[in-house]
Amino acid sequence: MSRIQVEGLTKRFGEVAAIDRVSLDISHGDFLVLLGPSGCGKSTLLRMIAGLIEPSGGRVLLDGRDVTFAPPRERDMAMVFQSYALYPHLTVERNIGFPLRSRRRPRAEIRQKVREVAELLDLAELLGRRPRELSGGQRQRVAVGRALVRDPGAFLMDEPLSNLDAKLRTATRGQLRALHRTLGSTIVYVTHDQVEAMTMATRVALLNAGRLEQVGTPTDVYDEPASVFVAGFLGSPAMNLIPARIESRAGRVQVLAPGVELPLWAAGDQPAREVTLGVRPEHLVLLPPASSSPASQPASQPASQPVPVPASPVFRGVVETVENLGGEEVAQCAVGGARLLARGPRPLGLRPGEPVAFDVPADRVHLFDRASGRRLVWQPASGGLPRERDHDHDSAAAAVAGAPGQVLDASTV
Amino acid sequence: MFVELAPLVAPAEHVAVEAARPPLARRALRALPPFLYLAPGLACLLVWTYRPLVEAVQLSFYRWNLLPSRPKIPVGLDNYQQVVQLPELRHSLWLTVATILCLLPFSVLLPTIISLLTRRIRGRAGVAYRALVFAPVLVPPVASAAMWMWLLDPRHGLVDRMIGHPVNWLHERGPAQLAIIGITGWHLLGFAVLVVTAGLANINDEYSAAAQLDGATRRQITRWIILPLLSPTLVLLTLMTVLLSGQLTFPLIDALTQGGPDDATTNAYYLLWEYCFKSFNAGLASAAGLAFFLTFGLVALLLVWLFEKLSFHDN
Repeated sequence: MSRIQVEGLTKRFGEVAAIDRVSLDISHGDFLVLLGPSGCGKSTLLRMIAGLIEPSGGRVLLDGRDVTFAPPRERDMAMVFQSYALYPHLTVERNIGFPLRSRRRPRAEIRQKVREVAELLDLAELLGRRPRELSGGQRQRVAVGRALVRDPGAFLMDEPLSNLDAKLRTATRGQLRALHRTLGSTIVYVTHDQVEAMTMATRVALLNAGRLEQVGTPTDVYDEPASVFVAGFLGSPAMNLIPARIESRAGRVQVLAPGVELPLWAAGDQPAREVTLGVRPEHLVLLPPASSSPASQPASQPASQPVPVPASPVFRGVVETVENLGGEEVAQCAVGGARLLARGPRPLGLRPGEPVAFDVPADRVHLFDRASGRRLVWQPASGGLPRERDHDHDSAAAAVAGAPGQVLDASTV
Repeated sequence: MFVELAPLVAPAEHVAVEAARPPLARRALRALPPFLYLAPGLACLLVWTYRPLVEAVQLSFYRWNLLPSRPKIPVGLDNYQQVVQLPELRHSLWLTVATILCLLPFSVLLPTIISLLTRRIRGRAGVAYRALVFAPVLVPPVASAAMWMWLLDPRHGLVDRMIGHPVNWLHERGPAQLAIIGITGWHLLGFAVLVVTAGLANINDEYSAAAQLDGATRRQITRWIILPLLSPTLVLLTLMTVLLSGQLTFPLIDALTQGGPDDATTNAYYLLWEYCFKSFNAGLASAAGLAFFLTFGLVALLLVWLFEKLSFHDN
């Protein structure tokens, strides 16, 4: 039953800031996943919340109480370690009972509670064993059991699934999610695995080099990444990021790069600007070869949906390789000097060496400032919605404008 | 009509073919290098440990005074009978056991306390501190004996001056034993602290982190987590004390008291040496040596078994 607030938390090791002014408000019942590449400081952040590492600056509040420098014992949090940290000389029963024993609970109560937890986690048969006699999955469950046994205010989990094999990981993901639903307690969960983040989190906090990049629901961070880093981190394969330039040409805002010509909407007041254009591989729509007429289209039936024949494709390039993922195919194409990955159901009908053209729905287009990497948001000067683009790509403005980030016509900071 | 896919089995001609094995000579040549690397060590072990051991067993059945010109007279089990009967042998054995027991605080208890207390000294201060504690280990026993002879001088020695009244350390029964134990302990302490510190460093920090989150106090963590996990190291140090106390005390006894006064510091090892190289009774010395060897071998086996039992191979 805990709300955890992190305010401007900083940890410096010498000159290097492992965590740099991170603020988070984790409300009661949240399943917050701290996501980021290795070395981004997510474990350090978790350990500061746990009280194992003293911060260099900032505060940690637990239900409004300042616990920044309180020892872990006084925080009412339980933690599951990546290594599980099961006490190797104690049996499963004593491992699970340890938190109660150190709180000097009566022996009968400890026994009772340990039985309950063991029942819940299917460990009843293993209570007499020592950790070294357990498999990876069993160890993991014992570690969770030790965290569960005393009903803590919040659970902290440091990559608890990274030592399991793929199949067990999927199963345990489901169990953890179910556990969160039944207990309704706060969970802070560290991982570098985006699948874990997307499937379990109620909110995801993305960390990069000690800084918070974005906090939001899994849908938010996937659909509206706040920065180039978030865009490139989530998704498999990751979002295509192509250096481009926006300008107004003939009263129309356009995104231009070699091999790329993406008209957005009519507006004359957009000064030229260097940007990064982002499109997810699964959002590219394969266009039939220019030579073939619409009638012959089914012969090379492409990616997602049937596409109304556009006047001009957005991306033009050459197929380099096609990868078979089983259910889907990923085509790597050269567009100008850049690489473009397209993903769709198998077969895509593409062959290496062939010219290829893609369109993209305007609401699937992401723009980021080239220098700062932050997301660009369209804010029409007049206050009204921008006029439609040539074809049926009309929702772009609304979708792009809805996202937080920089305003297109504001200068970068 | 449905036709079942044929199972993937290697075709008969593949099964029939055997890969050609290299000839035996070449295989033997290939297996040779590891044994070549081991050879010098094995040779030393054979020449300096196992051959003397075998010779000691042989000598224990003879009477011989070490002179190559004199014959060895076979006496059967006489030497062993003497070993069981000689009171001075029994006395020296008790003294050896007492010495070992008195050394355990220096090799196990104090190092554990010191290492636990100084665990948090890190960086340059930690290095300097460990160097200071370790320094006595580097002093050769005979040099330290010479130094301690000065320090323990009955009239002008620093120790007596600090105590304030004269004690004749090396020439009274009790004080002489204390002096030998104290100096050996001082030698041993630095090494033992180093071993315990290494043992502590080997214990994953995650355990104490987990215990902290589980709500354990510092004291509970030490008692319930650290000490049990450290116990193999402590058993190892006990084993070392039992097996090495003879070697460690011998040069000190020889230089400071020569086993005196009145055999008060003559432990088993010193007695063996006296039998052999002072009384020239090689047979008796060998028999006594073998008796000690078997006794301490049993103790060592027990401790090794304990060590194996206590070791938690965590992964």
